[in-house]
Amino acid sequence: MPVRVVEPSSPSQVAGTTQGNTLPQPCSLLSVGQAFSGTQNVSSLQKDEAWRVNVRIQGCDLDHGYLCGTMEALNVPMADTPVVTFWEGEIVDTKNYTFFTGKWGATAEDDIKHWTKFPSFSPLLSQVEVDGGKSLDLSNYPYIFMRWKEQYFVNVGTDCGLTIAGFYYVCFSCSDGSINGFYYDPNSSPFQKLELKSTNDGKSGFSFSSYELQ
Amino acid sequence: MPTSATSNHPSRPEDLIGRLNSAHTPYEAKLKALRDLKNQIIGNRTKKLAFLKLGAVPSVVSILSSAAAAQGGGGDNREFYESVLIQSAAVIGSFACGLDAGVKAVLDAGAFPLLLSLISHLNEKVADAGARSLKLIYQSKRAPKYEFLQEKNMEFLLSLLNSKNENVTGLGANIITHSCQTTAEQQALSEAGVIKRLVGLLGGSINQKDASLESLAAMVKENPEVSAKFMGPENGRALNVVIELMKDKHPRTRLLACMCLISIRNTSTSYLQDSGIKNSLVSVLLELLDDPGPVGDEAPFVLSSLITEKEDMQKIAFNANLIEKLCEHLNAGSYQAKRLQGIFLLLGDLCSKLECCRDRVLDLQVLNFVTEALAHDSAEVRTAACNFLKNVSRSVKNLSAGQFMNEAVAVPLVRLLCDSSSSVQIAALGAISNIVVDFMAHKSVLVQCGGVKQLVQLSKSMESAIRVNAVWALRNLTFLVSYRCKEEILLELTSATLISLINDPEPSVQGQALALVRNLVDGTLNSINYVFGEDGAVLHAIARQLRSTSKVEVQIQGMYTLSNVASGNELHKEAVMNQLLPQAGNDAEKTLVKFLQSTDSRLCTATLWALINLTFPGSPGTCRRVTELRNAGIITQLKNMINDHCLDVKLRARMALGQLMIFGSVWTWYTSIKV
Repeated sequence: MPVRVVEPSSPSQVAGTTQGNTLPQPCSLLSVGQAFSGTQNVSSLQKDEAWRVNVRIQGCDLDHGYLCGTMEALNVPMADTPVVTFWEGEIVDTKNYTFFTGKWGATAEDDIKHWTKFPSFSPLLSQVEVDGGKSLDLSNYPYIFMRWKEQYFVNVGTDCGLTIAGFYYVCFSCSDGSINGFYYDPNSSPFQKLELKSTNDGKSGFSFSSYELQ
Repeated sequence: MPTSATSNHPSRPEDLIGRLNSAHTPYEAKLKALRDLKNQIIGNRTKKLAFLKLGAVPSVVSILSSAAAAQGGGGDNREFYESVLIQSAAVIGSFACGLDAGVKAVLDAGAFPLLLSLISHLNEKVADAGARSLKLIYQSKRAPKYEFLQEKNMEFLLSLLNSKNENVTGLGANIITHSCQTTAEQQALSEAGVIKRLVGLLGGSINQKDASLESLAAMVKENPEVSAKFMGPENGRALNVVIELMKDKHPRTRLLACMCLISIRNTSTSYLQDSGIKNSLVSVLLELLDDPGPVGDEAPFVLSSLITEKEDMQKIAFNANLIEKLCEHLNAGSYQAKRLQGIFLLLGDLCSKLECCRDRVLDLQVLNFVTEALAHDSAEVRTAACNFLKNVSRSVKNLSAGQFMNEAVAVPLVRLLCDSSSSVQIAALGAISNIVVDFMAHKSVLVQCGGVKQLVQLSKSMESAIRVNAVWALRNLTFLVSYRCKEEILLELTSATLISLINDPEPSVQGQALALVRNLVDGTLNSINYVFGEDGAVLHAIARQLRSTSKVEVQIQGMYTLSNVASGNELHKEAVMNQLLPQAGNDAEKTLVKFLQSTDSRLCTATLWALINLTFPGSPGTCRRVTELRNAGIITQLKNMINDHCLDVKLRARMALGQLMIFGSVWTWYTSIKV
């Protein structure tokens, strides 16, 4: 018996309030332990120059709009070994964080310029232009928007010739666990694209480990 | 022949006791002996212990008793007997002062009712001596509990509070501080008008103020009703008086005023919430931490009651440089146990929620002091140090940087797993549970220092709190651990222990045990084989528990474990299929549908992932499994879920349905060809 699929999930405006205060629901593909792999184009022009990238989610606290993990860049030209960085993420939940970054050298204009690169952002654009998305309820939206900011190098020193000054605008698809992102750093080449897919260690299915802090 | 009786030198303890005990000693000489004894033991712990050993307390109590009886008979010697009463009460009080063994001896000798009877003595000096002595007894936890709920006792208490004698009113307040514990007692005291009386004492002497503040704190503690009464109009400006006492020149009064205000504050989210009072409380208590005496020892505990579990208060304390101050104290050198316990208690509170506090604590290298604290003689210090470590290691950022998993921390923590106090063991397990969530591949440190062996031992403890924490630590240790480490863990753990933990009578242990297996089978294909040893005994145990438990947390962990197993090869998927849809009977089938119909989205999601893995495209047996699942009515169930209110459930249901439909179409096509 076929059932009609209600499409698409759209963001709604929170009635009677100025605050979109419903937090995003947990998404199992974005939970601790989950791994992703793909590439980052270092130059937006030269598509060939890409680093292989692995990401692992290490911590997630939806109440505080917080996510963190590591990012491993594999074939970095100047480095002998893969370079691992630890990053912390701000989830745009319109409660803890809006679409406007308000720091790290990013203006509202920069924000809009980057967010609009994600097709799934277009239904939100008009409202975001008004209030940064504060009045949007994204709790049922099948995409999660985030900013990932690398905090420190895990396995190399700060003298490795690489920079983590910028941050990523990130869009995560709850449906298939794919991640797209754009690196923003006024001093680096613009719109370096990050493309990641959920990985399963070559197994025939998805696996989920877990820990719980006391 | 030397004569000792007339000597002016202090008597030998034995002689003194001899004189007190002897029936031949005249009462005058006994009075002198009492004075001698009092002078010798005042403020001298060693002497007190020596006289206790010689049985001085029963002797003195006996003199008190006979003097009370004798003066009751009247006569000319009234004044003399009253002196004996005063002196013996003073000696008894001195024995009870600051010495638990002394209090025990005093109570065992039956002094308590005698002292109580002195309170109503006509001679005010005798009443005063009785009250002083009882006050000292009531400073000890060993003092007998006063039953407020008996009408006569309440009347007596009120008479104490209404007395004009400062020591008698003080005694009344001390009795409340000591014995007011239950809501019913707080209520009864409040209804008897005690608050008003205590508020009256706030305007009295220092001792009365202090005693009143302390008992007010005990009366309002966790009792919103009594607290509301204190804040009510009938008590006038009582609150303002207490607030003013935060600025009193006596440190103890300031401390007790803070304690009283915090007790009130903690009963309601609407009391004392303005930033002025919040900042004042923090700054007064911060200053009191520097007091070198008992006030400084107690201040951390009062401050802890202000900030524990309260992020806003922790932030204020952080901004007031509490961490820096505590570090100064640690750097200043060795402290008595209570002070050290207080410092680690506060550091633990501060690090419980705020990342900025954890960062500061690590920057200031507080971890350097932890190793020593973990090995401290006092169990309370060891527990506080463990709790601090547990809270500071709640930081994923610092766990990721491998800040905690090193020998200086892990080795003493593992040693505490054999501690004689079970509360220390539990606290150590809590800290270990967190620090093993290490992302820097340092988990082997714990294996190398014998931690796994100890954890496995404790997972077999008779005490369920220890079992659950031990399994919790093992579960976190196996999170993203290397294959080699997993081998070592399982070698120590054995399948038999794992099975008994899955079947533990405590659901919390079952849940942690299943989460442990879930982590064990995550990762490489080889890892999945862990549940296939001994004819799949572990897998059977998981499935059996899933069928029988009604606890959703256990069901979620069990389902994710099966789902992880089903992410493996054909053999793995078939084994899970056989557990979920066995040939004979349909209990398991019902379980599957029941889980999909659960109101808990997390359980639905876990079950859907198992279905997704079982029908994962590309495996040779997928087509057959799809048919079996269709026959079990899963499709209908999934169709009901594709518009679920929970996004994750909705998306996973669509994914599972998509996979089932693809193969379903093939199967329909295949069977139609066959026909």
